[in-house]
Amino acid sequence: MARIELKDVRKVYGGNIEAIKGVSLDIEDGEMIVLVGPSGCGKSTLLRMVAGLEGISSGEVTIADKRVNELEPAERDIAMVFQNYALYPHMTVRQNLAYGLKNRNTPKDEIDRRITEAARALEIEPFLARKPRQLSGGQRQRVAMGRAIVRKPSAFLFDEPLSNLDAKLRVQMRVEIRRLQRSLATTSIYVTHDQMEAMTLADRLVVLNAGRIEQVGTPIELYEKPETTFVATFIGSPSMNLMKLGNGAGWKMSPEARLPNSAATIGIRPEDIVIANGNAHGPVRAEVQVAAVELVGAESYVHALTADGSPVVFRVPGRSAIQIGETMALTADAARFHLFDAAGKRV
Amino acid sequence: MQSVVFPNKILPYFLVAPQIVLTVIFFFWPASQALYQSAMREDPFGLQSNFVGLANFRLILSDENYLHALQVTIVFSVATALLSMGLALLLATAADLVVRGKGFYRTMMIIPYAVAPAVAGMLWLFMFNPAMGTLAYLLRRNGIAWDPLLNGDQAMVLVVVAAAWKQISYNFLFFVAGLQAIPKSLLEAAAIDGARGSRRFWTIVFPLLAPTTFFLLVVNTVYAFFDTFGIIHSVTGGGPAKATETLVYKVYNDGFVNLNLGSSAAQSVVLMVIVIALTAFQFRFVERRVHYG
Repeated sequence: MARIELKDVRKVYGGNIEAIKGVSLDIEDGEMIVLVGPSGCGKSTLLRMVAGLEGISSGEVTIADKRVNELEPAERDIAMVFQNYALYPHMTVRQNLAYGLKNRNTPKDEIDRRITEAARALEIEPFLARKPRQLSGGQRQRVAMGRAIVRKPSAFLFDEPLSNLDAKLRVQMRVEIRRLQRSLATTSIYVTHDQMEAMTLADRLVVLNAGRIEQVGTPIELYEKPETTFVATFIGSPSMNLMKLGNGAGWKMSPEARLPNSAATIGIRPEDIVIANGNAHGPVRAEVQVAAVELVGAESYVHALTADGSPVVFRVPGRSAIQIGETMALTADAARFHLFDAAGKRV
Repeated sequence: MQSVVFPNKILPYFLVAPQIVLTVIFFFWPASQALYQSAMREDPFGLQSNFVGLANFRLILSDENYLHALQVTIVFSVATALLSMGLALLLATAADLVVRGKGFYRTMMIIPYAVAPAVAGMLWLFMFNPAMGTLAYLLRRNGIAWDPLLNGDQAMVLVVVAAAWKQISYNFLFFVAGLQAIPKSLLEAAAIDGARGSRRFWTIVFPLLAPTTFFLLVVNTVYAFFDTFGIIHSVTGGGPAKATETLVYKVYNDGFVNLNLGSSAAQSVVLMVIVIALTAFQFRFVERRVHYG
């Protein structure tokens, strides 16, 4: 019903600054797509172009197989949840929810029915008579969601909706957004800079970098098979260790580990690095000195430096007895290597 | 909140002294003089004055001319405040839409505020004087019997327009600032919610501007009551036949022209009470409907 298609979409500011450099993307009906990337990568701009809040310099956006480039935001049949909620401060929660429906001349009993339904789903029934300023951040967030779902639009657009919440509430709302989106089966585009949020919410993840798509795929695909070093380091926390191959590097390759000639960089995730057992020579080996140990509860992250001063992070289960300043040898299984060529592309 | 205490006992009083001195000299002293004078009556030669209690108040409140001036003031103030605020709001929303030369447009809009009231009055007088005014000539050529020197209603229109024109800049500045303070995402949310043009203005923008509008309502009322003396004095002198004689103008006329000091003082006391009551009323009843962000 509501597929969203982006065909070579571009955004040019002031004639020469290209913020979005040709993005093409097919979003299936009912799919939850998360746009993720560092700040300034163009993810919000792209979302706002779909919403109609920013003009489209070239290319085409279609919603439900209808070209929307020239349509007003209200005519695109989308609803948006903003980072600062953008609730109308002078209206009660009920009026906030009803506003979009009233503007579309929805009959009064239908408005009441939909508000009751949405308020029940979001557990905001007790607050319907209150003004936004009398609500907590989490409650405002729910109202903002409610304003989107009462409209029953063909797509939801989320612009970093959880950024203003504290960590605990963020996790709770994340689960709730996912549950709601699944049960309503409404096509959604969700923008965030938080890769944790991206990984847990997305059906498919779109990693953007400097106005271009780096990679599209399911969270697991992106985690296990990053196509570029950018995606490799962006997805996963702590980020993947990247090490250059060549003479004098801190990591020594054993001759048995046969790597393709084009490989210039190896990436190893922190959980794939292990402390070498005695003098046994793994496919790769490095002597390191521990610089810091981060205890995060069930596991610890050890930050260390190789002989040539390049940083390595690895994960050890539970509380580690590793001391700062200690030296040790590290190794990893060659099957867990991610190999990239000189241009940063996966080999 | 932590209360801050100065170690020095005298310094704090010293610091607030300039403000206190100014208020005492320029408000409390003249106000108490007015109160005192309002209970006195001077003899025709100004040689002595007698205490007459509330007789001055009784006289002015039963004076037909005074009640007429009160009526003129109400018409004048309401018309001036509405006209200047309405036009300023219209221009401010227009300024919001200007893309190129925004700064220039705003600067041009603010210039009238730098014109002295009497000069502003003279400008309008010259333009609309029935004998030599360019615009008065155009009006008459187009079949309008324009003569503010004889027609009281036309004189009223002229002073209202002149007084409002002077105040538009000030209101414009505040409305522009108020419009800029409305979060952009609210307007975007409204756009997605299907509200455009005038509907968006009246349901979102105008209610959010309410604090600014309320503030300007108070300021403009006080302006129309007190600060328009210069304009009325230069444009119509209160005429024709007292058609534009406001309370403030009558205070001046009775006190300094006709030298009836007791009556004039009583009038200024009444005027003071009216403005204080009006402002208190606005804060008590209008402000309740105002939503502060």
